Amino acid sequence: MKIMAMCSTGLGSSFMLRMNIEDVVKELGLRDVQVEHSDLSSASPTSADAFFVAKDLEDAAQGLGDVTVMDSLIDKDELRAKVKALAERHALV
Amino acid sequence: MRLSTLLTPDRIAFSDELMEWPDAVRRVAQPLLDTGDITAGYVEAMTESIAAGGTYIDLGFGIALAHARPESGAVRPALAMLRLTEPAPLLGQPEHSVDLYFCLAAPDAHVHTEAMGSLARLLSDPDTRHALRAAACAADVTALITRFEENR
Repeated sequence: MKIMAMCSTGLGSSFMLRMNIEDVVKELGLRDVQVEHSDLSSASPTSADAFFVAKDLEDAAQGLGDVTVMDSLIDKDELRAKVKALAERHALV
Repeated sequence: MRLSTLLTPDRIAFSDELMEWPDAVRRVAQPLLDTGDITAGYVEAMTESIAAGGTYIDLGFGIALAHARPESGAVRPALAMLRLTEPAPLLGQPEHSVDLYFCLAAPDAHVHTEAMGSLARLLSDPDTRHALRAAACAADVTALITRFEENR
């Protein structure tokens, strides 16, 4: 599956988030998961199977499909729990 | 790009003054402006994007990373830090209470993402994050960053 980390510019926050998601994916041993980052305006529902955004884009990202909203971009515990939930939703574990 | 080369002691400031977020952004950026690493336009771009609703710079744990696009006036790669005793909440919103401001400047997208990545690793490590918030002077900050980079 493909996960897309997003922020408004696609330059900074989304990359931070992407790196942390990749770390957690590896840590959890999830297979066949691809993580990318992008800005919100160039993403569409077909861009990925699941989307991660920070809180400020919560409203703007609705409509993309499977959207996970992060309270903090540097909280690995929060991220681990949310990636785990995603993996369960998509029957990856 | 090592953070210890970007965040030099002269770019780290502490203040116990009470201030609002636009002053905090200007203050954290001041050392970079003084040395010409960024232009005044870069500071303006940062404050404008936050004013336009850009609480996206809030990373959580009271930490915010102010930055603008490279073409807004980033001259050389640099990172600055401002630790406040009293939080300066972004847009005055209590849920975006920030007392540790960073300002990142990078002249191109590659350096920008690379520095962002290094900073994300540093700040996502709970022990280092606690130590950073507990640091009392610039030397403490540079020492803990150097230690983090050496142990990786």
